[in-house]
Amino acid sequence: MHASRVRGTVNGVAVDRDVPNRLTLAEFLRDELGLTGTKVSCELEVCGVCTVLVDGRPVSACTFLAVDIDGADVLTVEGLERDGELHPVQEAFIDEFAFQCGYCTPGFLMMSVALLARNPAPSADEIKEYLDGNICRCTGYRPIVQAVLTAAERLRAGAASGTEEARDAREAREASDAG
Amino acid sequence: MPGDVTGRALPRVDGRDKVTGRARFAVDVAFPGMLHAAVVRSMAAHARIVGVDAAAAAAGPGVVAVVTAGDLGGLFPRFGHIVADHPVLATGKVRYHGEPVALVVAGTKAEAEDAAATVEVAYEDLPAVLTPPEALARGAPLLHDEESERGDETFGEAHSPRSGTNVAHGVDSGWGDVDAALRGAAAVVETEAHFPMLYAYAMEPYAATARWVGGALEVHTGAQHPFMVRDDLARIFRLPASRVRVVSEYIGGGYGSKSYTKVEPLAAVAALLAGGPVKVVLDVEGSILTTRADPARVRVRTGFADDGGILARDVDIEMDGGAYADNGPLVLAKAAARCQGPYRVPALRVRGRTVYTNTAPSSSYRGFGAPQVTLAGELNMDMAAERLGIDPAEIRRLNLVKPGEELLPGKRPIDADLHADLEMVVQALESRGESRPARQGALRGTAFACSASDAGAYPVSTASVRVLADGSAVVSSGSTEMGQGSRTVLTQIAAQELGMEPADVRVVQGDTGTTPYERTTGASRTTTLTGTAVLRACADARDKLAAMLAESLGCSPAEVTVEPGRAVGPDGRVYAYADVVRRFFGAGAGEVVGLGIVRKEGQFAVLPPFWEIGMVGVSLDVDPDTGVATVDHLVTVGDVGFAINPAAVEGQDLGAATQGLGGALYEELLYDGPQLVNANVVDYRVPRMADMPRRIDTLIAQRGDGVGPYGAKGAGEGALNPIGAAVAAAVARATGRWPDRLPLTPERIWRLVHQPDKEGDDG
Amino acid sequence: MLPDFRLVRPTTLEEALAQIGEDALPYAGGTELFIAMRGRLLQPGTLVDLKRVRGLADIRVDDGWLVVGAAATHDAVAGSEAVREHAPLLADVAPGVGNPRVRAAGTVGGNLCFAEPKSDVVTALVALGAELTLASAEGTRTVPAAEFHRGPYWTVREDRELLTEIRIPPAPDRRGVYVKFQTRERPTVGVALVTDGGSGACRLVVGAVGEVPVSLEFPSLGAVDPAAAAEAVDPVADLTESVEYKRHVTAVMAARAKERLEEAVAGAR
Repeated sequence: MHASRVRGTVNGVAVDRDVPNRLTLAEFLRDELGLTGTKVSCELEVCGVCTVLVDGRPVSACTFLAVDIDGADVLTVEGLERDGELHPVQEAFIDEFAFQCGYCTPGFLMMSVALLARNPAPSADEIKEYLDGNICRCTGYRPIVQAVLTAAERLRAGAASGTEEARDAREAREASDAG
Repeated sequence: MPGDVTGRALPRVDGRDKVTGRARFAVDVAFPGMLHAAVVRSMAAHARIVGVDAAAAAAGPGVVAVVTAGDLGGLFPRFGHIVADHPVLATGKVRYHGEPVALVVAGTKAEAEDAAATVEVAYEDLPAVLTPPEALARGAPLLHDEESERGDETFGEAHSPRSGTNVAHGVDSGWGDVDAALRGAAAVVETEAHFPMLYAYAMEPYAATARWVGGALEVHTGAQHPFMVRDDLARIFRLPASRVRVVSEYIGGGYGSKSYTKVEPLAAVAALLAGGPVKVVLDVEGSILTTRADPARVRVRTGFADDGGILARDVDIEMDGGAYADNGPLVLAKAAARCQGPYRVPALRVRGRTVYTNTAPSSSYRGFGAPQVTLAGELNMDMAAERLGIDPAEIRRLNLVKPGEELLPGKRPIDADLHADLEMVVQALESRGESRPARQGALRGTAFACSASDAGAYPVSTASVRVLADGSAVVSSGSTEMGQGSRTVLTQIAAQELGMEPADVRVVQGDTGTTPYERTTGASRTTTLTGTAVLRACADARDKLAAMLAESLGCSPAEVTVEPGRAVGPDGRVYAYADVVRRFFGAGAGEVVGLGIVRKEGQFAVLPPFWEIGMVGVSLDVDPDTGVATVDHLVTVGDVGFAINPAAVEGQDLGAATQGLGGALYEELLYDGPQLVNANVVDYRVPRMADMPRRIDTLIAQRGDGVGPYGAKGAGEGALNPIGAAVAAAVARATGRWPDRLPLTPERIWRLVHQPDKEGDDG
Repeated sequence: MLPDFRLVRPTTLEEALAQIGEDALPYAGGTELFIAMRGRLLQPGTLVDLKRVRGLADIRVDDGWLVVGAAATHDAVAGSEAVREHAPLLADVAPGVGNPRVRAAGTVGGNLCFAEPKSDVVTALVALGAELTLASAEGTRTVPAAEFHRGPYWTVREDRELLTEIRIPPAPDRRGVYVKFQTRERPTVGVALVTDGGSGACRLVVGAVGEVPVSLEFPSLGAVDPAAAAEAVDPVADLTESVEYKRHVTAVMAARAKERLEEAVAGAR
């Protein structure tokens, strides 16, 4: 088994070890680091379930060598939360019911983070174009688009007030549902 | 009546787990010393196994064991809840290309797969039958020449094999004198439709991890029905059910495809023979080769009076059930039960068969026979409307049953207002007015379709509620969470009934070792049946709290009132549940356990527990140059009685309709000879985000007409069932020609537009 | 599971050239290579990582020629001002390749060398008259993009050669459009139509529908004949699309390309 040295970070934590060349990034994250939030499905790069960010760029971890994170910073779904506070994209997915079984969710979250980093105010069409490379079999996609729009709004409004906005919006929606 | 918690879009209780990646699926389970198994699959569609040479594999680095059927003596090495015809590993012969023949168990997945690639199996080919006509032909080879044992007796309606043939199950049912009625009809309209072979395509492939602890078996899996799997495993290993534990913590998509036993026996035998925990994880191709859905050729002949009233209907169904029965026979039985659609049919004849073929086994998929027969049945209604010069909505209004009318003799009368549901769809389609198609020259077509399914499966549910000494509660149910939102709905019911904050209620599901018995999670039944079990468990807890408080106060239970959230003593003093518990036990500790049972009695004495209505509308644009159909407007109506969580209902309806659009426009598994050629998601095309209809209306009708909690009925399949038919009819209106098969790929639509008399390459 | 392999990471072109060979395959993103390896269609003993080779991913302008380093990702091409200015057709095609993850990791050179028939990039490059530079230990040679693909997954690149650059000739009056028909994961047909502003001559290139792109020349935009394009291609039937249908949509897309280019040219006046 051939291996190469990998020096990088995963969710801000340093990695410095020999890694088998044949290991994909998904296998490395899941089996070596115990970060099982990143899932594997199609293994053909078309479903997006395994999306992680490498230096901010979205990649299919199932078809990316673990050894190729040498010198790079990797962000997975586990890295979105900070001190127990959910990332606004995560909050928005909950508020907009943008998941059901949850298997595709980490991939969609990472793609959404990548999108909002390059385009903080995407239109619904731009969201659909960017996320078209991710498959969801449960939701029919509509709430995912809405969640990204909501997350974009809140990120633009600023993190702190965004949380209050989320609470207000949720309460307003629940009140109108009950009525 | 609904209170604070039910009837609102409470954020899903599994939300945090799922958005943080902490939700543990079968593939995420790990144990110390865990081994990995790779599956060796058959290269032949129908063949005797002459020999298996695993010497190189057994000697491979890290390999601990190689398992074949020969190692399973001493076990009952078959499973199958209707017919126990499915060997754990191919025994003596293989019956489909891709059937598991051997398992290689090693320290890592890579070692197992590297070794598995070296296993050589020698086959002596047998003639193979790859389609129902081939399998039914005179002299066709039999896939199952021995009669297999019955599975679970309660599946009797699905067990009528025709011995000496490849018919796994046959139906011949109906009522009235169909032939006489047809002779007297003003018009007899005949429709033949082909429903494709589909794959549920859950994003989570099949996976299971098994370990043996002190002679007891524990399997972590993604099974929708852990208790059914438990019973299959108990029989295989000749164990009491109490020593088999099956756990489904979260399921990454089920849609019926994770109903009943799949890869659990593989993991369990591997763990037994390798002497350590073993994880089996299939890839997408392996998953498709494990279970796919039933294609069907359905012929409908309906006799109409000249006002469009249905006089009689004659249906013939032929399903391709694949190599093993799995749940295929029940799909046929249910298809037969849905041939009258939501209509008053004075005389009905249904004949059908599901046929063994040397292809991957078929099993449940959302809709369960209804999509197949609804395609033919609703196209038939639209063809009749055209022939008789009647408006398509009018012909349906005339024939739809009214609330309280029987659809199936002796069964629960229809518990929905179908006419009102139809109006909702028709109005939604019309209300936005005629919009211009996105592309100039596009052909627009609009249609709607309806269905009614006897849903809910069989009422056996139990649940427990533990009210803890601090006033919080744990609800325990053998149902499972596969994305449909059961965990959240059950939380809402319990919070409502106990007057607690949802955050104080924890729902634990899907563990045969610790949660009480739930027969199945599917057939859209959980809200209605499991929900009622939880409701009753909460009522039982309240009764017990009353008795406890009465004893503590020295009065009779009749003098105590227990409401959600509080108990009131004879003097009007109010006690929190926590107080009642602590007083009773005296140590500031303890708990009270309420039990709820649902059986075929009371409001569930008459089956089905409820009727699941499908009422959808589709407006689409066809590009005549390319045949591409773009859905402009999608309307669904969820007739759910009471929506305990409206967001969950809408999510299920849109998800179901989207899967329906997949089967209508894009999806089809294709065989080339003995081999499946598109067992991957590049070549099997599922709906993507760019396919979203431009306008989507997910409507909910709540008329309190269900026997579930607060008047609820189930949801989850209704919006899929009629979609294929609505799309086909919309394409017919756009192109001027009736399609006879799904999926309506661009080429098929293009041929409808341009080549009315010519067969395409794909036939 | 990928098969096992040795990994080398050269930092100069010379090192890379010394290391590649029949059993030592160059890679950058690996987006197509790893899938082939996972399917055991390819099992190279060694992989040569090109991502650290200095200059191989550079995009620059050299004496009017747009030079795209083979290891430039599709994203880099899509976002490059130099590409937008000197070869806008390529800038239009790059954002549509695969999906965002494929574009973030996959490279133009990798795409060309893997030679998946259903590809957009080579079609655009043939239309632009691009020239590909192949380097080896013995020197370099130039191959027109139109001659690079010999068949499915088969190029003129020898095992010891490395594709280093894609060079696009200057043509300030050139205008072009790319029209793609795609209903599944891979395009069914891609039509690139460019007109040389000066003479008015047009080149129409049809890709993805056959084993290799097919190129037709017309004396003017008005003379572009979609039916001729449909006749010229040799479509490969698919699971859901017949030869007849593919030939038909080729004509449709060629007609749409002509229409769009006519509008663009009229708009520019």
